[in-house]
Amino acid sequence: MATYDGLFDGLGLRGWCDGGADAGSSGPMSMADLLAKAKAGEGGGAEAASWWDLPIPSLNSLHEACAAIPQTRDLTLGLERGFLSARDALRVVLDPLTQPLSWMLREMIDLMVATPWFIMLPLLLALTWVVSRSWRVVGLVALSLGTLALVDHYTEAMQTLAIIFVCAFICVLFGVPVGIAMSRSDTLQRIVTPILDMLQTLPAFVYLIPLIFLFSVTEPKLYGIAIILYAIVPVVRLTDLGIRLVDRDVIEAADAFGLTARQKLFRVQIPLALPNIMAGVNQTIMMSLAMVVIASLVSAPGLGVLVLRGIRNLELGVGLVAGFGIVLLAIVLDRVTKSALARIDASKARH
Amino acid sequence: MNNPVSHNPVKVSIRHLYKIFGDRPSAVLPGVLAGMGKAELLAQHNHVLGLRDINVDIREGEITVIMGLSGSGKSTLIRHLNRLIEPTSGEVLVDGENILRWNADQLRGLRRKTMSMVFQKFALLPHRTVLDNAGMALETQGQSRRDYEAEAQKWLARVGLGAYGARYPHQLSGGMQQRVGIARALTSNSGIMLMDEAFSALDPLIRTDMQDLLLELQSELHKTIVFITHDLDEALKLADHLVILKDGEVVQQGEPQHILLNPADAYIEEFVGDINRARVLRVRSVMSESAGSGRYAGEVDANDNLEHLIAVSGGDVSLSYRVRHQGRVVGSIDMPTVVKALVPRRVAA
Repeated sequence: MATYDGLFDGLGLRGWCDGGADAGSSGPMSMADLLAKAKAGEGGGAEAASWWDLPIPSLNSLHEACAAIPQTRDLTLGLERGFLSARDALRVVLDPLTQPLSWMLREMIDLMVATPWFIMLPLLLALTWVVSRSWRVVGLVALSLGTLALVDHYTEAMQTLAIIFVCAFICVLFGVPVGIAMSRSDTLQRIVTPILDMLQTLPAFVYLIPLIFLFSVTEPKLYGIAIILYAIVPVVRLTDLGIRLVDRDVIEAADAFGLTARQKLFRVQIPLALPNIMAGVNQTIMMSLAMVVIASLVSAPGLGVLVLRGIRNLELGVGLVAGFGIVLLAIVLDRVTKSALARIDASKARH
Repeated sequence: MNNPVSHNPVKVSIRHLYKIFGDRPSAVLPGVLAGMGKAELLAQHNHVLGLRDINVDIREGEITVIMGLSGSGKSTLIRHLNRLIEPTSGEVLVDGENILRWNADQLRGLRRKTMSMVFQKFALLPHRTVLDNAGMALETQGQSRRDYEAEAQKWLARVGLGAYGARYPHQLSGGMQQRVGIARALTSNSGIMLMDEAFSALDPLIRTDMQDLLLELQSELHKTIVFITHDLDEALKLADHLVILKDGEVVQQGEPQHILLNPADAYIEEFVGDINRARVLRVRSVMSESAGSGRYAGEVDANDNLEHLIAVSGGDVSLSYRVRHQGRVVGSIDMPTVVKALVPRRVAA
């Protein structure tokens, strides 16, 4: 007999337990059941259970005493069945909504890979100059991309960059408005913050599991969504924070001169929060780069694939070179966005 | 300024204004109206009495100074005039209309066109140039830079910053930043200017410069100015009408010279005890209006201060002077009266 029999007998629930179902033997046996059974067969007769071995009252041990209580595997099974039954409905809604993401990723990757290197590289350097206005940073970018090209990682680097450009763009597109809305409503902030905490702490692989069920593994949006969910957090947080940190005196002055809510947002709050928002964009880009390797598990092209090959085939050199390439890209993206941030800060310094 | 008696029409009128801070101000209002005190309100209901039964008339073209120590409610009071803070009870009449009944659009119109504000911490937009800051009020009304540029430049030049339009606020000193603040308020061409401790953050020499600038502008523009300060010297220098607040209540209000000579209670007495009376008191406040007998040692103007008179007399207390105002003889003054006026008066020993 199970340990907790006494509990249910004492509470007078025996009838409910046994009447609920003849569930004692309905489910498949777990490995633990099998082992116990085998042991019982071998040893013959149970030893007297000491109180020292009292099992923790988990679902499984309670189930042994009372068949009406479900086992833990019923819970995970229920979750899975629930998700699967909702899958088709979810897909009908989510598929068309996310289709543009697939399209954008595919087009961007194609564009950046198909454009000849002698056009693409100057273009990227020009972009760097526009954003950073610093020859030092342009030099760093040239050197890094040159190194990657030299070791024949140019195509992979472009694929990775394309993925990051698209995902970071979408993060900003959705993250900034959400952050603004959060800064204006304490209620919304209280609701969204735990969601952001969850997105940030949930292990990156966990995003992939439901996404694999929802979408085809061959579709780019699968890894796009995983990257965006993971990387959108800092830009939302820092937009909210930046707008909340705007000097109260300046806000009061804006009110005193009769600015409308809209004028206040676009002429005062967003410009003054811009350094913080840019810091959020920088973090968002860094985090999307961090997801690139994991996304390669679900067919994201780029440097991550090479790292994955290094792991799978134990090709030490391939993995190390690709990993080093990712570090180079990270440094480049970080320096470019940081110098853009510094430029904003310098021209709009607070007193 | 310093007209002996004000006949200007009332521009803004504050009537029975109460402000209670707390979770449910309207619930405790009846008690306060019935006379509950600040300490009692805090102890029994955990609400703070910010302002209590404030009645002030602000006259057109005058500088009304609201003075009080920190926590007296002066900054709270000035924010009721443009409804940056909503009162718990009472009325604020601007040109006879109760602005507390106005909707958001009307209120925005008031803030854009009727009242402008100057802040203690300047509160300029750090990411806009000095010129853009000065033109903020007009830009808010939908004017493009080309439209407001001339007006903003004019007022920047008027406060002595004509050459600084392209700079950013953080490149200017505190005094210059506040000049931008004043130019910003003037550019809106509003008739009423609210100045919330506008010079308190500046060092003393700059502060004197700014006070002189304000008086000079005022002699020309005749704005209706509400000026908040905790500095009595500043208050006496600027005020046509002085309102003294303590713990959210008006202790005394009136012509500054009158308050100085007739303090209403021990608090005011203590307050005015430390100031240089000779510099603040003016001949007209202590002279006798009858043309005294005897020989005059000379003539003085009714608006000269006593310090000036003492200097003219060379310290000789036997002399007397004829007093003129705008060319007319308005009275006479003898030196013993002057010396007596310099002794702070006590209401009760």
